[in-house]
Amino acid sequence: MAQQAMPDTSLGQMRPTYIYKVVLLGSTSVGKSSLAYRYVKNDFKESLPTVGCSFFTQTLNLEVATVRFEIWDTAGQEKYHSVCHLYYRGAHAALLVYDISNKETLNRAKLWLRDLEKEFLPDEIVIALVGNKTDLAAEREVATEEGEEFARTKDLLFMETSAKSNHQVNDIFMAIGELCDSSS
Amino acid sequence: MNLKSERRGIHVDQSELLCKKGCGYYGNPAWQGFCSKCWREEYHRARQKQIQEDWELAERLQREEEEAYASSQSTQGAQSLTFSKFEEKKTNEKTRKVTTVKKFFTASSRTGAKKVAQEKIVKQGQLGRERNADNILRDLKEIFTPSWELASPTEAEIQEAKAPSPSINRQASIETDRVSKEFIEFLKTYHKPGQDIYKQCKLFLDTMNHKRDLSIEEQSECAQDFYQNVAEKLQTRWKVPPEKVEKAMDQIEKYIMTRQYKYVFCPETTDDEKKDLAVQKRIRALHWVTPQMLCVPVNEEIPEVSDMVVKAITDIIEMDSKRVPRDKLACITKCSKHIFNAIKITKNEPASADDFLPTLIYIVLKGNPPRLQSNIQYITRFCNPSRLMTGEDGYYFTNLCCAVAFIEKLDAQSLNLSQEDFDRFMTGQTSPKKQESDSFSPDVCLGVKQMYKNLDLLSQLNERQERIVNEAKKLEKDLIDWTDGITKEVQDIVEKYPLEIKPKNQALAAIDSENVENDKLPPPLQPQVYAG
Repeated sequence: MAQQAMPDTSLGQMRPTYIYKVVLLGSTSVGKSSLAYRYVKNDFKESLPTVGCSFFTQTLNLEVATVRFEIWDTAGQEKYHSVCHLYYRGAHAALLVYDISNKETLNRAKLWLRDLEKEFLPDEIVIALVGNKTDLAAEREVATEEGEEFARTKDLLFMETSAKSNHQVNDIFMAIGELCDSSS
Repeated sequence: MNLKSERRGIHVDQSELLCKKGCGYYGNPAWQGFCSKCWREEYHRARQKQIQEDWELAERLQREEEEAYASSQSTQGAQSLTFSKFEEKKTNEKTRKVTTVKKFFTASSRTGAKKVAQEKIVKQGQLGRERNADNILRDLKEIFTPSWELASPTEAEIQEAKAPSPSINRQASIETDRVSKEFIEFLKTYHKPGQDIYKQCKLFLDTMNHKRDLSIEEQSECAQDFYQNVAEKLQTRWKVPPEKVEKAMDQIEKYIMTRQYKYVFCPETTDDEKKDLAVQKRIRALHWVTPQMLCVPVNEEIPEVSDMVVKAITDIIEMDSKRVPRDKLACITKCSKHIFNAIKITKNEPASADDFLPTLIYIVLKGNPPRLQSNIQYITRFCNPSRLMTGEDGYYFTNLCCAVAFIEKLDAQSLNLSQEDFDRFMTGQTSPKKQESDSFSPDVCLGVKQMYKNLDLLSQLNERQERIVNEAKKLEKDLIDWTDGITKEVQDIVEKYPLEIKPKNQALAAIDSENVENDKLPPPLQPQVYAG
C-alpha cells in the first residue's frame, strides 16, 4: 500500500525509503497544527517557523526502512467538511484529533471517521484517534476510557497526547509509522 | 459511388483494374491501384521508412546539438551555431510549407475532394483519356498525402486543423524548440541513459500522435503509464541515482508536455470549457463576499499584507500562462507562500490549515483566475502522479481543488448569512458594502477606501447643501408671507379704523372742555413784585 520511492542505492545499503502521507483531521483549535509542529520541530511555537504551518515532512529511521512522513494539515471548520475528502485521497494514515476538554470535538472526530470508512477499505489506511491537550486535565470532558473504548470498537490506534507539554507526541507518530510499515 | 464505378467499369480496360504490381488480382483505387495483399506490403514498407526517418532525424538533431555544443566550447562556436540554426530554420520552413499545402488540400472535406477527383476521372475516362487522369490522381495523392496516411487517416491533419492561429503556433514552436534544446542539453549529463530517455520520449510522442482520437481519459492514462515506466526504467535498468531520477522526470515532463499542451489542454471533446465558464460566472456572482464572511485572518489595511495579497493573486492568475503541469503547480505553491506570509504578518503567528484554506478561497474569489477548471483538470491528468499525491506542491494543489469545490457549493450557511440576505446579495439587489459602509474593511486597498470615505463625505455634504437650500427657500417664503401678512393686517386695521382728521382748534379746546371741576380750582398764582 505504501508508495515506495526508490531503494537508496547511493549509500550502498538496501534500506528502502517509504513515503507515507498522513492527514490530520479534527475541529478547529483542537491542536492539529501544534501536534504536527511539535513532532516535526520538537518545539511548541516558541520560535516562529519560516512560513506555513500546515505541511510538514519528517524522516524517521526505522529498523528495516527509512520512512518519510508527509503530514497534511486540514481545515477543521465545519463548513469545509464537505470538501475534505479531497485531502485524504491517497493517504496512508489519518490522525483523528479531538480535544479532551471539549466533548463536541470527539463527536466531530466520529463524523470524520465515518467519511474515512466510506472512502477506504479497513486495511487501506491506518487510523489513529488522538485525544490532545492532556495538560488541561482539570477541564477534562472526555474520559480516557471513553476514547479508548470507542477506538477499540472501531479498531483504531488510540493515544492521549499533549502538544504543549510534549506528551506522547513522538509515540503516536512512531506507532503510525510501524503500522504503515507492517501493512505495506 | 456504386453507379460511378459501374460506369467506369464500362469504359475501363480490363487491365486497368488489375493490381499495379501485376500479381494478377484486381486492384482497388482506395489502395492506390494495388490489390489488398500488395497494398499491405507497400504500406508496411512506407511505414517502416517513416519510422526509420524519424529516428534518423532525432539522431541528427542530437548530433547537431552535440556539435554545436562542442564547437561553442571551442572559440569559433558562434559561427557554426548560427549555421546549424540556419539549417534548422530551413528545414522548419520546408516542413511548414508542405503542411500548409496539405492543409489547403484537406481544408475542403476529404470525401468531398475525393468525390470530385473521381468524377473528373469518370468524365475524362469517357473521353478516352482516363489513363492520363488516373496518373494525375495518383500524382495528386502522392504529393498531398503520403501513401501510409491514406489507410489510417490523418492524425497530422486533425492536429493541423486544431492548431490555433498561426502566430500563436509560431510562438509556441519557438518555445518548443527551446525546450527541446534544453532537454537534449540536460540529457547529455546522463550519458548513455540520456539517449535512451530521448528515444523513449520520442516514441511516446509518436504514439500519442496516433491516439488523438481517443478520449482524454485514455490519453491521460497513456501519459501516466509512460511516467511510471520511465521512472522504473531509470531506477532499475539504467541505474540512475534517486536524486537524479526526480530531476530527469521533471525534465521529461517538461519536454513532452510542452509538445502535448495544445492537444490535451482543454480539449474540445470534454466539457472543460463549459465548466470554466460556469466557475467564472459563479465567482463573478460572488463578488460581494467580504473577508469577514469567510473568516479570513488577513488585514489588508497593513500595506505589507495587501502587497502579499496582490502577489498571491498575480501568481494564481499566472498559472494559466504556463504549459508544463509542474510549472503550473509551482505557481500555486508560490501563491500559497504569499498567503502564508500575509497571515503571518496579520496574526503574528504561523498560519495553520484552518487559516490557510479560507484565505485561499478568498484569493481565488478576488482573482477569478482564468480557465480554472481546465487547469486543474490538465494538471490532474498529465502531471507526474508522484507530484500530485505527495509533496508540498501536491498539498497546495489539493487545497486549491478544495477551494474551488467549496466555491461551487458555497451557500448562505457557509458565509454565516441568512438565506434572504444571501439571495439578495446574489441577485444584486443590495450589496453588503453599502449596508456597513463604516466597516467595509480589509478587502479594499487604501486608495479605494479613501475614495469610499470621500464619497461618503460628499454625499453628506450634498445632503447638507440640500437642507440649506430648502431652509433658504423656506426662509424666503416665510419672509414673503410675513410681509404679505403685515400688509394685510395693516390694511385690515386701516379698513377697520379709517383715519379721520378733525379740525385742529376744536381738538385743542376740547382738552379740558369737559373738566367740570375747573371752577373749583384756586386761581392760578399771579406774579408778585416784592420791593426789596
